[in-house]
Amino acid sequence: MRAARNPNHAIAAAVAAVAAAAFAGTFWFDPVPEGLPGLGAVDFPRLVCVLLFLLAGLLALKQGSRPSEEEAPPLDRGAWLIFGACLVFLPAMEVLGIWGAIPIFLVATGLIWGEVPLRTLVLNAIGLTVALWVVFVRIFQLTLPSGWLGAMLGR
Amino acid sequence: MEAFLGGLAILVDPYVMLMVLLGTVLGIFVGALPGISGSTTIALLLPMTIAMGPVPAICFLGAIYCAANFGGSITAIMVNAPGDPSASATALEGYKMAEKGQAGLALGMSAVSSAIGGIVSVIVLIFAAPMLARAAYSFGPPEYFALALFGLSMCAAIGGDSPIKNLIAAALGLLIATVGMDLTTGVERFSFGIYELSDGIGFVPVLIGLFAVGEMLDQAARRVGKAQIIHLDAARVPGWAEFKKCNRSIWIGSGIGTFIGALPALGATTAALIGYNETRRWSKYKHEFGKGSIEGVAGPEAANNAAVGGSMVPTLALGIPGSATTAIILAALIVQGVRPGPHLFNEQPTLLYAVFASMLAANIFYLVMGLYMAKLFARISLIPPAILWPAVFVLSIIGAYGPNQSMGDVVIMLVAGVVGFLFRRTGFSPAPLIMGLVLGGMVEETLKQSLIIFGDDLTGFLGRPIALALFAVTATGLLWPVLSRLLRVARAARA
Amino acid sequence: MTHAGVGGGTDITARMMMVQAPGVFKQEFLVVNRTAGSGAQALQYLASKPADGHTIILVTQTHLLTQLRNPNLPQFADLIPVARATADPQLVLVRRDSPFRTPQDLVEAGKQRSLRFGGTHVGGVDHVTIFAFGRAAGIQRPTLVPFRGGGEIVINLVGGNIDTAVVNPGEAEAQLRAGELRPLISLADSRLDAFRDVPTAKELGMNVTGYTLRGFCVLKGTPEDRVAKLEQGLIEAMSGPIYKSYLQNTGQAPDSVAGRQAWAAQLAEFHKDGREALQALGLLRG
Repeated sequence: MRAARNPNHAIAAAVAAVAAAAFAGTFWFDPVPEGLPGLGAVDFPRLVCVLLFLLAGLLALKQGSRPSEEEAPPLDRGAWLIFGACLVFLPAMEVLGIWGAIPIFLVATGLIWGEVPLRTLVLNAIGLTVALWVVFVRIFQLTLPSGWLGAMLGR
Repeated sequence: MEAFLGGLAILVDPYVMLMVLLGTVLGIFVGALPGISGSTTIALLLPMTIAMGPVPAICFLGAIYCAANFGGSITAIMVNAPGDPSASATALEGYKMAEKGQAGLALGMSAVSSAIGGIVSVIVLIFAAPMLARAAYSFGPPEYFALALFGLSMCAAIGGDSPIKNLIAAALGLLIATVGMDLTTGVERFSFGIYELSDGIGFVPVLIGLFAVGEMLDQAARRVGKAQIIHLDAARVPGWAEFKKCNRSIWIGSGIGTFIGALPALGATTAALIGYNETRRWSKYKHEFGKGSIEGVAGPEAANNAAVGGSMVPTLALGIPGSATTAIILAALIVQGVRPGPHLFNEQPTLLYAVFASMLAANIFYLVMGLYMAKLFARISLIPPAILWPAVFVLSIIGAYGPNQSMGDVVIMLVAGVVGFLFRRTGFSPAPLIMGLVLGGMVEETLKQSLIIFGDDLTGFLGRPIALALFAVTATGLLWPVLSRLLRVARAARA
Repeated sequence: MTHAGVGGGTDITARMMMVQAPGVFKQEFLVVNRTAGSGAQALQYLASKPADGHTIILVTQTHLLTQLRNPNLPQFADLIPVARATADPQLVLVRRDSPFRTPQDLVEAGKQRSLRFGGTHVGGVDHVTIFAFGRAAGIQRPTLVPFRGGGEIVINLVGGNIDTAVVNPGEAEAQLRAGELRPLISLADSRLDAFRDVPTAKELGMNVTGYTLRGFCVLKGTPEDRVAKLEQGLIEAMSGPIYKSYLQNTGQAPDSVAGRQAWAAQLAEFHKDGREALQALGLLRG
């Protein structure tokens, strides 16, 4: 029976939930100071929320088609691992600094992705990291997070 | 005219020429990097250029500005990661073309239409800047409100697989635009006491997340079992036939871009999105849109590069920068001793024409480089995905963090990335969301400003002819499908 | 450290100062941008660093207002002003064909109805200045029409959407020279060289001044000798030709650079004005 379910229902429910949450959120805004002319702070966001709600309702009424394998292939373990790696990148940046996190990320995700030998991945990771460092730190002089490790090394 | 020839003569100086060349190469490069835009680069390099002397410095910075707008289209087409916000419209069709193996065609057409758009707008700038600049004064909040509505009215038509989904995405964009401190009441909205949110959600991190990170996640999900793209055609650059097909789109884009650019409150991104809409509206090959239409690359690319010249109109002729980007350009020019304003055209013609000449030269340089290197760039699609996509992610992180040095922006980018990924899997398109985000803030703000100016009286709009005309155009555009059907029925009945 | 994004006026001020600072201090300088929360994040970052004078914050009036509205942040009393970088006086402008020919016309009209002033966002620096001006001139509380920046204000002033505005001369230079805008009142302490015939508000009996201020501060607790050394060094760095020509080219007063006494006094005055204005406008919590 699962295949017969209308996928639009789930999408519409998610959209409606966002709209409802945002609508509720408008009640926690600070009060608008007295004596200001024009529309207040809450009117426009509320209007948009109502609009979203209506659109979600319309969407739920329509019969949607299940996305094909081509559009949305099932997620395998590797995909989830890569998602995880992306998520871990932030704390890694805090600890190792961006110049430590980048090469590790490049090699790790590259391995999960597959097809490219480790040696190529390592060489590519080193080369790219150095290139990025030269461009952003030496030429543009941007300050990028150096992390605890970087702080210990005296940067 | 004499001054213009004098300006051209400046370019004969090999040192100046070298600076324009250097600026063009650098501009293409930073333009292609997601997050790092031409304006960020100019701000960062500004102190360095002081020692150069005014003319080479202006030429250098002008070339960066022009070339960066083109550079953004390279990554937009190759990896669906617009390097510059203004290239987001280009990604819609350009990436689809690259997926079909027509990367070279898309890149080449982007170079050609960008250069034409850029050159047209510089010529307009030379001859009509003071006149066009007057138009800026007749655009107040009510007029911008009407214009923003016009831009939004096209949302339903572009992007995903159904108009309702497009409208939902656009409404989400509008909602995101309300985050942060409200301009007209000073109240913080949806910021939950988080400082990162009180200035609003940045456009650049959302853009990078939706496009680049979303695409990367999607690619991660389809690593296996996907037929490799056929690369046979990837290196072909456009010929006369393609050019003829896109001729009309390029002119539409150039015209829209120059005009929108010349309005101080609107920039290249809006110009490109509206350019895309109008290209589609007037195209003879409408069915190709959404599946990799070459016109859909030519139109917005012409528009966003034309907007560069257009945006220099108020900047030079009124001394009023329209956007953050031109504000930096203006600061750069002022630091070099250019005094913008109506007098600039009489008092400092040499510096002025140095600006024009360098912009023209940069457009020609990147045209040549773009066509020549299209084959090279097209080979990006030959890089193994295991190397390409992680690198895209790393660049996205730096691009989101760099301009504001904010971890909050990186988090926003990741969230937008997840949204982008879910959008791809459920038949939504990021394009309407981007439009909602770009124009949403303007719709609300200009409406509130108008109401304050009119003293809370909506009928005040009736006294604004330009706004009324724009409302009428919007309404006609929305009702056109219905109207044209009625006309056809009427004609058939008569026959 | 600055609260502005890369490329804003405040960021450029910091970077221009930095061009010559390393030479004076024989030390590397690094610009750290902490943009969020109208300076709130910058203040937090400052508080997280030791008070040793190695972290200098570029303070604008925005910081003072942010502090007032967020009692949890380091307050004005927690900062030691070191040196002023820019002090840009403001002018009250009207458009060429405005019915207000003289300052008196403006004040008279302001007593009849609430004038529409252009400014930045509600509760921002311009709002405070406009509020203070309105009170000093004895007119009805002005209506603020908020815009995104100086450029938009100027355009709407010329376009006739607002009655008047308080603007830095540099922002409206082109329009002033073309005669499209007329200065009525100067909010500087004394008459400006470029506008000799424009009376100051003080001359007209209104006790109000308006400046756009940017300058450097360090955290309280920084040793006195370090503060003195920083003050001297920063002033020296900002007296160099590059910073001088930056001020001149952007139309800012060449006497902008000042020591900590003048800078501290000015900040204190704005702090007071800001508190009163925000309170009266109902924008202060608690």
